[in-house]
Amino acid sequence: MANILIVDDSSTMRKIISRSLRQAGLPIDEIYEAGDGIEGMAALSSGKTINLILSDINMPNMDGLEFVKAARASGNNTPIVMITTEGGEEIIKDAMDSGASSSIKKPFTPDQLQAVLGGML
Amino acid sequence: MSFNSEIAAATKFSEDELAKYVIEATREVFSTMVMMDPTDDYPLQEPITRFKCSITGMVGFAGTYSGVISIHCPVNLAMKITSNMLGVECDEVGEDLNDAIGEISNMLGGSVKQVLSKGGLDVKLSIPTVISGEDYTVNSLSDNDCVVIPFKVDDEQFIVGLILKKED
Repeated sequence: MANILIVDDSSTMRKIISRSLRQAGLPIDEIYEAGDGIEGMAALSSGKTINLILSDINMPNMDGLEFVKAARASGNNTPIVMITTEGGEEIIKDAMDSGASSSIKKPFTPDQLQAVLGGML
Repeated sequence: MSFNSEIAAATKFSEDELAKYVIEATREVFSTMVMMDPTDDYPLQEPITRFKCSITGMVGFAGTYSGVISIHCPVNLAMKITSNMLGVECDEVGEDLNDAIGEISNMLGGSVKQVLSKGGLDVKLSIPTVISGEDYTVNSLSDNDCVVIPFKVDDEQFIVGLILKKED
């Protein structure tokens, strides 16, 4: 069973992602939440076991790209999947160049989550 | 309603084509994230600018072209939408309702941006803005540059509007 960290400034979106992860039937134990990249970094350094990270891109304080760079700079190699509204190739490329593992475009279905995340858990 | 011909030429879409894409994007967002299947009633017969006991979510575009995509729906319907999105009952106007409607407008904005970008336009999105009230007017919905699409779901109507303007 895996623990997942969701980094998104929208509490509603965090709930939607949590619900979709459960519906996707993925082997998930705990789901942790962070409201921006700073909170995400705090979660990573909290000592909790986190097996996979789902991160929004557009967030205040520290956005998703900065969060990926900060996580990798700290030596954390947990897979990070970017969840983006825009789905633009340039943004995805920036995220992947920064150390992200994959991306999912909103809106998404639980089946699409399963397809992208299934091999990472 | 008539879409500005200059905008239509620049985006390489006719008004009907752009409306069709907005309809498809809206139906995709609702079917995947809201578990609802709205039907469109395009074209709009009479302009609608005044909303009562409603909530509006808006995302702006900026770049070569500026504009706004917006969704307007009665609060009662917005509560059903929010409840479906979250999987828990929503029965009041609050953070969950505002976030849900804002997120829908954000996803619609992302979809429309993809269409505009494919047309060679450099467009960026704003963060969502959400307003709600007992009685308010959205004047931009009466503009000639605005594509307005009415939808029906659960015997209630909501509206999606898209306005684009060319920057000098």
